[in-house]
Amino acid sequence: MNDSKWTWRAVSLISIAATILLLGGFVYAVKDILYPRGEALLTTLPQETAAPAAEADGVIKIVALGDSLAKGTGDNEGSGFVKRTIDDLTAKGSKANLIGNLGINGMTTAGLQSRLQQEGVKYALRQSNVILVSIGGNDLFRGSDLLGSSSKGQQIAAPETESTDSGSTGANTGSGLSAGGGMTGGAEGVEGAEGAEDVTPESLLAALPEAAKRLNTILERIAEINPEAQIFYMGLYNPFGDIPELLVPGNQAVTAWNNAAMDIINKHSNMTLVPTFDLFNRHLDKYLSSDHFHPNGDGYQRMSERIVQAVQ
Amino acid sequence: MTSLIPLIRNECLKIIKKKRFYIILLILVVLVPMFTYAQMRIADRNKDKFNSDWRLEIQQQITDNQNSLGSDRIPEEWKSYRKIFVQQLQYYLDHDVNPNEPSGVTFTREFLDNSVSLFIPLLIMAVASDLVSGERTTGTIKMLLTRPVKRWKVLFSKMAALLMFVSLIVLAAFVISYLISGLAFGYKGFNVPVFTGFQLNGDTVDMSAVHAVPQWKYLLMQGGLIWFVSVVVALLAFMVSVLVRSTAASIVVMMAALIAGTILTNMASAWTTAKYLFMVNLGLTGYLSGSPAPIEGMTLSFSMGVLAVWGILSVIISFAVFTKRDILN
Repeated sequence: MNDSKWTWRAVSLISIAATILLLGGFVYAVKDILYPRGEALLTTLPQETAAPAAEADGVIKIVALGDSLAKGTGDNEGSGFVKRTIDDLTAKGSKANLIGNLGINGMTTAGLQSRLQQEGVKYALRQSNVILVSIGGNDLFRGSDLLGSSSKGQQIAAPETESTDSGSTGANTGSGLSAGGGMTGGAEGVEGAEGAEDVTPESLLAALPEAAKRLNTILERIAEINPEAQIFYMGLYNPFGDIPELLVPGNQAVTAWNNAAMDIINKHSNMTLVPTFDLFNRHLDKYLSSDHFHPNGDGYQRMSERIVQAVQ
Repeated sequence: MTSLIPLIRNECLKIIKKKRFYIILLILVVLVPMFTYAQMRIADRNKDKFNSDWRLEIQQQITDNQNSLGSDRIPEEWKSYRKIFVQQLQYYLDHDVNPNEPSGVTFTREFLDNSVSLFIPLLIMAVASDLVSGERTTGTIKMLLTRPVKRWKVLFSKMAALLMFVSLIVLAAFVISYLISGLAFGYKGFNVPVFTGFQLNGDTVDMSAVHAVPQWKYLLMQGGLIWFVSVVVALLAFMVSVLVRSTAASIVVMMAALIAGTILTNMASAWTTAKYLFMVNLGLTGYLSGSPAPIEGMTLSFSMGVLAVWGILSVIISFAVFTKRDILN
């Protein structure tokens, strides 16, 4: 009997205490959710100058940045040229780590420009020493027609973000929105082949000067964020080479773009252009995936072989 | 008028003697290490991949989610879930706060967030479903009611004892998951900031009211909300146990309702009237962490209102039925 007396006492006391505690928590939670006090905002801004990558210990730290090619769309194994590059480097005895693959389907130069404002992206870039960039394809092949209106809007926004690049909070909300814009582009990117009919020689070249200007700011911005890293820019190939009426204008546009990119890259000692044009030209059926736009696994493998040669 | 306290005491001792509470503790002690271990494996794997740098991990998570937004095959609702998720992650990243800082406290927070709509209610049911129907299965209800005690007092004492155990179960869930996961992740982390106050508006997140609370406060708030949910579930299970003759049937009824709730929350955003069902509204802690409600138009006040109405109704029905009904067999 004495035993049960003590259990009762303990149980009743603990449960009453617990009830009071939980009830207090409940009242507090309801109050906090219904009338959130916005004042107690913690303003730990991310460290603008995070510790740069640890000194060369021989490890190749790779960040990939850009569009669906960086992401690896079209590769049945999902590797893309980024993972394949790392595998190849590892197979050759180097130590290669993937810091992050920040490729997003449908990314355009304008989208990437605002993405470079994000602290998380900058942070990842600072941790790396090899940066693989693939951008421009969407500007050239789709930015001209399908996304014509939205890319104009982004062009207007772009100079503003450039000037306020260190005002991180404001810039970040903006970049979040334009990343959303990039996503709708990605949705269209899946059916990229359908856009082929709309591509005309004029439209291909129309987007070029503006986009090339943005590519310039992007590459310089990356070099500014991480001056130590080697930047490898993936040249474009012509995915429409199998459509007779687009073969010549497509080749011309891609060459013009690649030349523009080469012009930019030649001015910087830490940048390299990795050409891909010749890898795919006349072999589209072998190295493009079923969407007739992205490379397939073998195509990515060829690209990664190039990258490995450039890196080592 | 006989005092209620001895009656409540009697009911409490019955619950303890039946070892139901120990079984609940045992379930927790067995299951929490499993979750802890699983969580540890995930943490280990991510450590390898991201050089134990959570910022890179979050950035990759954001990128992956943004990529999946591009796909046409993903339903619109999932996209808005992910958009919200991306914006919250971005907020954490921009403020240099690790949302998953590995610690026993963080584990407890996430574990309880995930268990509020099914696991904790199941534990509550283990006690509540048996209270009245158990007496009828064993026939002891006749003994109880032949005493010179009013029926409502008998029922009230049972209900009071049940509510006491609800508090104990919620507390035990917190304490046990903290103590066990602490072995693996360390016992620190009470002062790590957590953001709350994300106002969801379609698929955009209004950050104006977001504020940081130390994790211990967050746990306290979470505990309060879980307690409220548990009380309502307990009252409902109690009603079922009054209405149904056998314990097994009463457990099955409640379990079916709860499981239906988890299925509905996963698929029923088109059927908007489902939001008046109690089992869809159990995820109160979602309002705290800022995860979107399963059905358009659900808010904290709405969910609490629905739960309160269900709870009050079940109390009324329990008392009405129990005081009127003939006890036959």
